[in-house]
Amino acid sequence: MNIDPRSHVPIYLQIADGIREAVAAGIYRPGESLPSLRALALDAQVNPNTVQRAYDELAREGLIYSRRGMGLFVANEGTASARTRARHAVRRAFEQGLRAGAAAGMGTEEMRSLFEATLNDLALAGK
Amino acid sequence: MSAKQENEAAIELVGLTKRFGRTTAVDDLSLRVPAGSTFGLLGPNGAGKTTTIKMLMGLLRPTAGRVRVLGAEVLAEPLMVKQRVGYVPESHHLDRWMRVGQVVGFCRALYERWNDQTCRELLELFELDADKQVKHLSKGMLVKLSLLLAVSHEPDLLVLDEPLAGLDPLAREDLLEGVLRTICDRQRTVLLSTHSLDDVQRLADTVGILYGGRLLVHRKIDELLATTKRIRATLTDGRPPDRLPPNTIWQRVQGREWLVTVGDFTPDTLEQIRAQPGVEHVEIIDLGLEGLFKDFIRGRRAAS
Repeated sequence: MNIDPRSHVPIYLQIADGIREAVAAGIYRPGESLPSLRALALDAQVNPNTVQRAYDELAREGLIYSRRGMGLFVANEGTASARTRARHAVRRAFEQGLRAGAAAGMGTEEMRSLFEATLNDLALAGK
Repeated sequence: MSAKQENEAAIELVGLTKRFGRTTAVDDLSLRVPAGSTFGLLGPNGAGKTTTIKMLMGLLRPTAGRVRVLGAEVLAEPLMVKQRVGYVPESHHLDRWMRVGQVVGFCRALYERWNDQTCRELLELFELDADKQVKHLSKGMLVKLSLLLAVSHEPDLLVLDEPLAGLDPLAREDLLEGVLRTICDRQRTVLLSTHSLDDVQRLADTVGILYGGRLLVHRKIDELLATTKRIRATLTDGRPPDRLPPNTIWQRVQGREWLVTVGDFTPDTLEQIRAQPGVEHVEIIDLGLEGLFKDFIRGRRAAS
């Protein structure tokens, strides 16, 4: 997992995002176990307390659950919940972009066409 | 972490002061590091980090104040501290003619709680050759050996003074892993003194910024990042505002641009700034630890 220590986003949130993305992408599937605190701490090179905080956060969301003595698992509705979360994150990113556009004096149509153009550039349209 | 551990302090400094002649290196410093936490001590060169650590380790006698480590007075019980604290100093004093295996054997005999398995695992992780003479070790290998010696006796507190400075990226990664393994394997307290903000972000849960022998701030990193914000505003006529927002850490006016960094930021802070005459286009900039660190130091320098 890639962590950016220079970011203003706290590391535990970066880890939570990373796990959410991995679940949304089907890397970890419902019922499957997640890496242990130690394994993830060593892999991401961060303090295990930080990993614990990320897991706590995800457990609160209902994305993962713990079984005593057996570790952490992806919840049944984990994939769907991770996708919903991802949608929210994308929406927030769009909002930020649109606000920047508005601040720079761009109109609705100009932003719409910029959005289409960006989508085409990324060759994601229709996917 | 249990409530009991939360209440126990692994390190407790009260009014700690060290003067060298007319220079005050550490100035009435009080600090409490709870057991089981990892504390990152940041500060520019000459801030008093190493002096503080030396007093913590009982290597330097304070001019005033108290040092308690793991519940004991350091000056009264120096042996207990040596047995239960692991220390990686800034510069390494290992006998140059000895072989790695001999150094390890020598230290093994000194400690009651030496763990052969930990030692073996780290020798392997660090690819340290037992037959090599200390004088033939690279800088990275020396630090690795020093860390191995500091953690193989299962210390309750690990003190690292600039452990990763000047190492190549691969040696750094190995050492980070070595430090993390120690943090993981038992609920140890770690004090990490460094210039590297990245390392503090990765390893520490709490951070302190030392400057001029005093702590400017001491807080959980996540809290600090969440509550310290830089605000950028346009000043209509380029004149600095009459009133600074509460908890201003640093500010700068350049032409029409006004940058101001504030602590304990709330929406009220923003309203107060917006309400000032001649202030427009107010926006919030999130700061990383590096920006935050610089603003704390620059703010203090400007004030003195």
